[in-house]
Amino acid sequence: MSNRPTPGRLLLMAYVYLVLIFVLAPIVVILPMAFSEPDYLTFPPEGFTFDWFGAFFGNSRWMAASVFSLKIAVLTSVVTVVVGTMATYALMRGAGRLGTLFQGLLIAPIVVPHIALAVALYLFFRQTGLSGTVTGYVMAHAIIAMPFVVFTVAAALSSVDATLEDAAMSCGASRFDAFRLVTLPLILPNVLSGGLFAFILSFDEPVISFFLAGIRDKTLPRMMFDNIEQNLTPVIPAIAVLLTGISIFVLVSAAILRRMAQSRSMPAKEA
Amino acid sequence: MAGAEISVRGLEKSFGQLKAVDDLSLDIPSGEFLALLGPSGSGKSTVLMMLAGFEVPTGGAITIDGRDCTRMPPQKRNIGMVFQHYSLFPHLSVLDNVAFPLKMRGEAKAARRRRAAEALEVVRLEGYGDRMPSQLSGGQRQRVALARAIVYQPRLLLMDEPLSALDKNLREEMQLEIKRLHSELGVTVVFVTHDQGEALTMADRVAILRGGKIQQISPARELYERPANLFSAGFIGEMNMIPAQWDGSGLVLAQGDRLAPPDTALIGTAPTGAATLAIRPERLRVTAPDAPGALAATLEEVVYAGAGTLLIARLADGTEIRARIPSAGLPRLSEGERIGLAFDPDALLVYGEAAA
Repeated sequence: MSNRPTPGRLLLMAYVYLVLIFVLAPIVVILPMAFSEPDYLTFPPEGFTFDWFGAFFGNSRWMAASVFSLKIAVLTSVVTVVVGTMATYALMRGAGRLGTLFQGLLIAPIVVPHIALAVALYLFFRQTGLSGTVTGYVMAHAIIAMPFVVFTVAAALSSVDATLEDAAMSCGASRFDAFRLVTLPLILPNVLSGGLFAFILSFDEPVISFFLAGIRDKTLPRMMFDNIEQNLTPVIPAIAVLLTGISIFVLVSAAILRRMAQSRSMPAKEA
Repeated sequence: MAGAEISVRGLEKSFGQLKAVDDLSLDIPSGEFLALLGPSGSGKSTVLMMLAGFEVPTGGAITIDGRDCTRMPPQKRNIGMVFQHYSLFPHLSVLDNVAFPLKMRGEAKAARRRRAAEALEVVRLEGYGDRMPSQLSGGQRQRVALARAIVYQPRLLLMDEPLSALDKNLREEMQLEIKRLHSELGVTVVFVTHDQGEALTMADRVAILRGGKIQQISPARELYERPANLFSAGFIGEMNMIPAQWDGSGLVLAQGDRLAPPDTALIGTAPTGAATLAIRPERLRVTAPDAPGALAATLEEVVYAGAGTLLIARLADGTEIRARIPSAGLPRLSEGERIGLAFDPDALLVYGEAAA
């Protein structure tokens, strides 16, 4: 293959860069605004200050919302990882025709608009008293995060030879031990990376939080919406910068975990 | 340590409409090396999976050492198993792989490591304990899988086409290695293969399966020299099969020859009527076309292959007949020539229609 780019290739690359710029521009714009001195949003920014980060960390209401979001995100990722891994395992190693239906249900939230899901959950939670509770949020967020765990775990499971568990059982392991000692360690990086996705999805989730918010406890994205409506100060871009930083960190970690998983299961598969 | 004694009675396994194993009975004495040989779909692997406990029979019973194991889960059977693709645990070192069955049996760590190292020595892989399975060659992985299967000294060792993924030289080496292990350990071995050479070389007895039924179960030599039916005859090695009529005392070929094979040539009781004359290609000799007792044929192809030469000839009725003759001393033959094919009477086998 020659390294000399053809005109078609150049055109494709130009297009890819344009898309990247279009997608990343908002983040690039918000970044300097978080360090701007005036207490209103300006672009280009004026001066340079860390005050708005201080305002965020020093405000007890912002902190309460952050802790509330963090709690929900951690619980959501634990619930999705446990339920999602068990469900995916069942789907791929047993459940016959019913499995296809079940899989459809698990991954449907990826195509159902979040707003539709939010309205449905709002009606359901209002009657069951789950609105605004941690349980309610975790249930709702687990539904939207589930497809991501199902996809990453399914990818890992499909590369793990099912006869490894037979081998473990022929060595005297119980069915559960065969899963725990052989299959789980092999899919663990993907399971954890699915959990990280679930964490991020829950932590910045705005739509469902908007519908489910109670009067007292608010998630961080919901609190940001309220703040934008009342007084738009550079605290908002400051938080946006922090959230973006967390997302990048988590997604990079997830990518590293998946790469680890690949380098571990690939050479064994070629046998 | 003595090997396990296995008794299989009326074993049956159906997958929906399909009967993979059909009323199969089998006795394996302690310490025997039994090969299950058959084409794909013959049910040989299903039989092994039922012995291992991964498949539950739909009928019949399996007894190992007098204990009914028909429905016992695999982890309770105390059986060593070597899988087709070795199935080593990729995240564990070689030593931890081999020590895994001991860990499952609650053995202390130090004893585990010592016994695993001993098992690695038995398969000639001492010093490889710290490597990962991905760092080993195919043959070495096979040895690790063997070590893992024998480390807890099971009385029964099951092998599911364990050599099919290796290249030819390595396969022959491992065949001898497994035979050596078998005689050293005295363990009963059930070995599934579709390679007849492998079955004949390794096993004390070979069971030929077709359509979930045992066609024949005999020592290698008997299997080759006196196949019990035409399927076995055609499945093991090369066999010329010539249609004929049995008139009660002699055999009449379509081209008119009349042969009087000895009584020992008859497989089972041959009623008069259509029969098949079977003869191995290496039991034929070349003579003049009009020599008494020889079959006259037209030579179609001469394939020289060093030590031996393959002659492909055709009888008057169109039946193809193959002869494998030592090249030394073979006269110069040309295609289209008329030749005679002679044989000793004890080379003949006669199958009545019932044995088809």
